[in-house]
Amino acid sequence: MKVDLGPVTRIEGHLNVKTTIENDQIVDAQCMGEMFRGFEVILRGRDPLDAQQITQRICGVCPYAHAIASSYAQENAYGLQVPPNGRIMHNLIQGANHLYDYLLHFYQLSALDFVDVTSILKYTGKDADLRKIKEWVQAEFASGKAYPGAPFLPRLNGCYIVDDELNIGALKHYVEAMEIQKKANRAATVFGGKFPHATAIFPGGCTQDARIDLIATYQSFIRETREFIHSRYIPDIVAVAENFPEYWHIGASKGGFLSYGLLPLSAERNSGRLLAPGVLQGGMVKPVDYGLITQDVGHAKYSSPSGLKISESSLTPDPAKKGAYTWTKAPRYDGRVMEVGPAARILVDYHAGGNKTVKGLVDTYAAMFGITADNLNSVLGRHLCRAVNAVVIADFLLEESERIDPGGKTMADIVVPATAEGYGVTEASRGALLHYIRIADYKIAAYECVVPTTWNASPRDDKGQPGTMESALVGTKVADPEDQIEAVRIIHSFDPCIACSVH
Amino acid sequence: MDRRTFLKLAATLCASFGVNGMPGQVVAALKKIDPGTVPKLIYLQGMSCSGCSISLLQADSPSPLAMITDYSQLVFHADLSAVSGKKALGLIDRYIAGEAGEYFLAVEGAIPELMPEACIIGHKPFGQYLEEAAKTMAGAVAIGACACDGGIPAAEGNLTGAVGLKEFYGKRGINKLVVNIRGCSVHPDWVWHTIIHLVKIGVPELINDSPALFFSRKVHELCPRYHDFQQEIFAEKLGDKGCLFKLGCLGPDTYADCPTRWWNSGQTWCVDSNAPCIGCASPGFARKKDFPFYRLAEQDK
Repeated sequence: MKVDLGPVTRIEGHLNVKTTIENDQIVDAQCMGEMFRGFEVILRGRDPLDAQQITQRICGVCPYAHAIASSYAQENAYGLQVPPNGRIMHNLIQGANHLYDYLLHFYQLSALDFVDVTSILKYTGKDADLRKIKEWVQAEFASGKAYPGAPFLPRLNGCYIVDDELNIGALKHYVEAMEIQKKANRAATVFGGKFPHATAIFPGGCTQDARIDLIATYQSFIRETREFIHSRYIPDIVAVAENFPEYWHIGASKGGFLSYGLLPLSAERNSGRLLAPGVLQGGMVKPVDYGLITQDVGHAKYSSPSGLKISESSLTPDPAKKGAYTWTKAPRYDGRVMEVGPAARILVDYHAGGNKTVKGLVDTYAAMFGITADNLNSVLGRHLCRAVNAVVIADFLLEESERIDPGGKTMADIVVPATAEGYGVTEASRGALLHYIRIADYKIAAYECVVPTTWNASPRDDKGQPGTMESALVGTKVADPEDQIEAVRIIHSFDPCIACSVH
Repeated sequence: MDRRTFLKLAATLCASFGVNGMPGQVVAALKKIDPGTVPKLIYLQGMSCSGCSISLLQADSPSPLAMITDYSQLVFHADLSAVSGKKALGLIDRYIAGEAGEYFLAVEGAIPELMPEACIIGHKPFGQYLEEAAKTMAGAVAIGACACDGGIPAAEGNLTGAVGLKEFYGKRGINKLVVNIRGCSVHPDWVWHTIIHLVKIGVPELINDSPALFFSRKVHELCPRYHDFQQEIFAEKLGDKGCLFKLGCLGPDTYADCPTRWWNSGQTWCVDSNAPCIGCASPGFARKKDFPFYRLAEQDK
């Protein structure tokens, strides 16, 4: 039987996943990105400095990652020498955005896959937030309305956590996380100007001042967020892992891992990054070569040629194209399927022997759960890797903010050349993000974005290889073929963003 | 008469005569929010980036959670709803069919007028939901640049024919209440405080379909650097102090209260971080290819 899981909720955007079920098992899955805007066409002919503003609007969840990738691409194209303060501010803004995004993803987007919200009815304690939620749920059930408890109910059929105390604690943290994510975002806005969609980020740095009071404000928000990460987020992930240990073995993708590396360690071009870049295949990490990335459109709704390299990209929509089932292209690295995202970042760094803290944390958790690093390619692995990212990033941001030179220059002087091209790569919270810009006659002649969910939610390529998420779904046992909470948990572990993937 | 029947009657009377004509007792009852009768929001996303939804989560007082439980009920939102797939579609469809009670439609994102396939929810074009909802909804709130005017999806050269909700309805002769709240993204207060007004009193004062409270004056008029403008103290390059007009600041062309409201719990706003206003609350935001956000060339003049 065929079952559509869409609209998939608690993600960004318009995703359907068409599954084929045989004997209570997913034997086929098609990821269907169902919203197209055509950013690359909209960008063509515009002033190059519009790009870091326009591309932020690809995604309102991770706009800063796009601003940074675009800034890197333009810096590369203009040959800008970024002052150290400028690079540090980019890092402070982007890192804070990662922290908010991990918390939002775990609590607001994923927790309801595991936590039984109805446990609140058994709450007898004195916590004001929890009493309020309990009264609200009681009033909802008594109201006789069509959908009491929405948007938290109704929900999919499935096994949720049975321990009431754990559920109630998680609900409290759901409420707290809503407040803490704002703090992480406020940290980012100290230098970014506003969230979402920062106006202070430019190629070459930031317009905001390098003021000591701003640094202190920033650090205060990050400390508060860091405290939440250690006291709530990590214990909650551990609790989910203890309750659902089978998910260390569910949802493995079948390709390699790609990470561009996150947060440059200096303003020098090609400096090392906090999390190392690389392509991981069969336990070996190799350097990334953008020239090996191509995008197939055999199953995507475009009539433009398939298999093009980034610098040759083209975009002609064909909504009625035969055999096409999504607006998402199929990027491949040297013809191979890649998973990108938090697990890719951690696995690439771990195998490259990059960040010592990463290695320490992975080894500690592997021992705690009786798994190996290979099991990070799983539903729980992706959740845990976000937390590892969060720990490493939060500590780095506190150190990095100390490196700002108060009163020093925060921006390079921008001169846009008549003709140029540039690549910019970074890690959005959801994974490897590449922007490419080509300038002719002072205008954007071509712009291409290869975005994390473009990799993860890609359709089959022209060779017939399923995309990353498709491959992770196939083989999964489902208890209720109509609802498929197991599949939804796999999809959520990737944190797909369809606005990003198609753009 | 039980409380719910009373409130329902009061609401009907209210709609007929307006709040001001009601006895004080009835007005007071209307202003007290009852969880059983709190307005339902069906929040649908079209060609959007979810940035407005994410911005709504940055609200302070009331908190986002209070807004979607105490002041309204967020019956469906793709970013927060527990339910998905067929069950989610069933819920949306029942409301839109008028079978689940009164509701307001909250719309984020543009509508692809020329390419309906460019935005699909559950096998049905986004626009079709909007047309059907127009028959049953109490009104709609268009949230953000895309829902109001098409936003960046409607920028010059776009391939989808993206339009905002008003235009989409206008072309179909639909004349339902649509409150426009511009911004890319919206400021959370602009939306939540409008909803509070809708819930407790009724439609707020509107200027060009937008709440006057937030959109009656220009950024430039309210700008703390207006004095610099008068004294002709201009920023010459990005990162400079002074009036940002010569760098392309669109404050003189943009109606919004950012300079007095500030963003992210009052942390900052664009001009405070020395970044020119890019006019994201203007109907024509980002529309023209030959109208760039920044004018760095000015530094040479």
